[in-house]
Amino acid sequence: MIEINNLHVNVEGREILKGLDLALPQGEVHAIMGPNGSGKSTLAYVLAGKGEYEVTAGTVTWKGRDLLAMNPSERAVSGVFLAFQYPMEIPGVATMTFLRTAVNAVRKARGDAELSTPDFLRFVRNKAKLLKIDPEMLKRPLNVGFSGGEKKRNEILQMALLEPALCVMDETDSGLDIDAVRIVAEGVNALRAADRAMLVITHYQRLLNYIVPDRVHVLSDGRVARSGGPELALELEESGYADFGGDAARDEAASGAAA
Amino acid sequence: MELPVQQFRTKGEQAYLDMFDQARDALPGARDPFVSGLRTKAIEAYARLGLPHRRIEAWKYTDLRSRLTDTFPLLSAAGVAVGDGDLSRALGSALAALPAYRLVVVEGDLRADLSDLSALKSAGVEVLSLARGLEKPPSWLKKVLGQVNPRDDDAVLALNTALMTGGVVLRIGEGVTLDKSIHIIQLDGTGEPASTVTRNVVVAEQGSSVTLLESYGSLGLRGLQRNAVTELSLGNKAAIRHIKLQRDGEEAFHLATWLVRLGEDARYDAFQFSLGAALARNQIYARFADEGSSANISGVFLLRGRQHCDTTILVEHLVPRCGTRELLKAVLDDESRGVFQGKIIVSPGAQKTDSKQMAQGLLLSETAEFDSKPELEIFADDVVCGHGSTSGQIDEDLLFYLEARGIPEPEARALLIQAFVGEALERIEDEGLREAFAAASSEWLGVSFD
Repeated sequence: MIEINNLHVNVEGREILKGLDLALPQGEVHAIMGPNGSGKSTLAYVLAGKGEYEVTAGTVTWKGRDLLAMNPSERAVSGVFLAFQYPMEIPGVATMTFLRTAVNAVRKARGDAELSTPDFLRFVRNKAKLLKIDPEMLKRPLNVGFSGGEKKRNEILQMALLEPALCVMDETDSGLDIDAVRIVAEGVNALRAADRAMLVITHYQRLLNYIVPDRVHVLSDGRVARSGGPELALELEESGYADFGGDAARDEAASGAAA
Repeated sequence: MELPVQQFRTKGEQAYLDMFDQARDALPGARDPFVSGLRTKAIEAYARLGLPHRRIEAWKYTDLRSRLTDTFPLLSAAGVAVGDGDLSRALGSALAALPAYRLVVVEGDLRADLSDLSALKSAGVEVLSLARGLEKPPSWLKKVLGQVNPRDDDAVLALNTALMTGGVVLRIGEGVTLDKSIHIIQLDGTGEPASTVTRNVVVAEQGSSVTLLESYGSLGLRGLQRNAVTELSLGNKAAIRHIKLQRDGEEAFHLATWLVRLGEDARYDAFQFSLGAALARNQIYARFADEGSSANISGVFLLRGRQHCDTTILVEHLVPRCGTRELLKAVLDDESRGVFQGKIIVSPGAQKTDSKQMAQGLLLSETAEFDSKPELEIFADDVVCGHGSTSGQIDEDLLFYLEARGIPEPEARALLIQAFVGEALERIEDEGLREAFAAASSEWLGVSFD
């Protein structure tokens, strides 16, 4: 479904990804793990098309198309979804207005009719219920005054509403307590489908107890250093990232500051 | 030895003196000694001051003397035909459609055929045309005309007093509340370039509570030099929502002054929305005359091309325990220029004053400019006063977030601009009005969200 070959990416003149290869087939869930600074979030942003990430070499083929030639909104309507590590707060935009604008933009681009207001409200309420999101929250400005858990649940809600073919989740578990991780993971698992691929980026093995991946890839210094089954995550839990150019103790201390 | 003062005047400055000389005997109230006394004093003040220019601090960014070189003749009312379609074109459909008691003023003339005069009368609001008010001023009008918040240092205001010909005079009775807004709609006519000088006087008696909307628009006049003044006196415990739409024609000069006086425990919520005119200057002078009152003044500019819009606010705290909030949001495209000057004076006796100002410019092009000058003059020691000002471009991270959800870039930009403006719109209490201004913003942006 998505194939990344020899991807090199610079951020502010510094090379972060240094020849990354990855293939994610349809219907599978892959986890990306790795120490801080290994390029996990850079990979997420590059796939979504963020401006200041400069691709210097390599290709990304998405449903047979050149993903890198598409602008961010084209990627989104073609089915790429990035759940942000730090969702943006936008005062002055009601969450509901934002959701409706996004859903209708995607539907329009896919050739579907826009949803009427009652249909849209029903659609949102059903999805919100699964994620234990209070409908009152959706009347507030987008992410403004939301707790960390509310922001992440709101990301997964958007994912559920936009029905993407590729879900990229960037440290969706960061800053969440165990109950919040469970709710988010349940929301994600409900979206697992044969026609949908998922890339779960995480620093910790914890999330993978709830979202069990088909494959685990360890990133180190801008490349995939090792790939394996779900057992690889458990192994890392034991040994830390010391073998991958990271230091487990240091990473623990700095985990909040991961880029 | 006394030497005669030989003052240099520009052509534009002299033209107003000539205009006054030619018109004085025909101006409304010419035979009333009170009114003609006000006019004479005002034209003398103008002759002394001249047109304001950039070396006068309050006009630093808006050099009227250099911009006002050609002076257009005074408009004379000609009974222009105006229909609903004209109103909708002049004000935009959302504002024109608002349910309200309408007072339609065309070329300065209060048009009984287009206004809800009898409905207002039975609701407890006395309405007179300014011309009638000046011909034979009732005693209550004499107490306020030119005296709500008098100033002798403002040439634009002085010119208005000298030359005012049209507008409306309102007295909102004690304790009167209305089910709809009062909408004063001022439209200039069609045809040759002209000046229009209007004055609205509003007395809100004790305990009254009303939304007063003033809209300024054009029926297609080729050039317009508008000088509009509203004097508003809030009695004790009065609550007035005072809202303005400025949608004058693209070649127009819009000079507008609001003079406001607040009594005890009064509440004043002002909002101004500026879209039109080549050059606009919105002046608000507000004065707290008694304790326990609050003023909440906010505004939005949406400018493009070479439009210039200046909002200058002076709030004087003369007594203790009053509060002021100011928020201005300017969206500036192309080579437009937005100016905010907000001055708050806290007199020695005005303890427990609580004031905050914020002005924010959103620049959509490299060549747009936002000038913001907050000023605080504090002579009391137990006060809370703050001000802030920002100027910037659209946040690329926010833009990316929206695009990453499938919203195309132009629409995402428009949504962010709408959000920026939305913070000021939120200060409008009335939902219908708030939505009408949101719709007007969308119309300007060329998009619609729900």
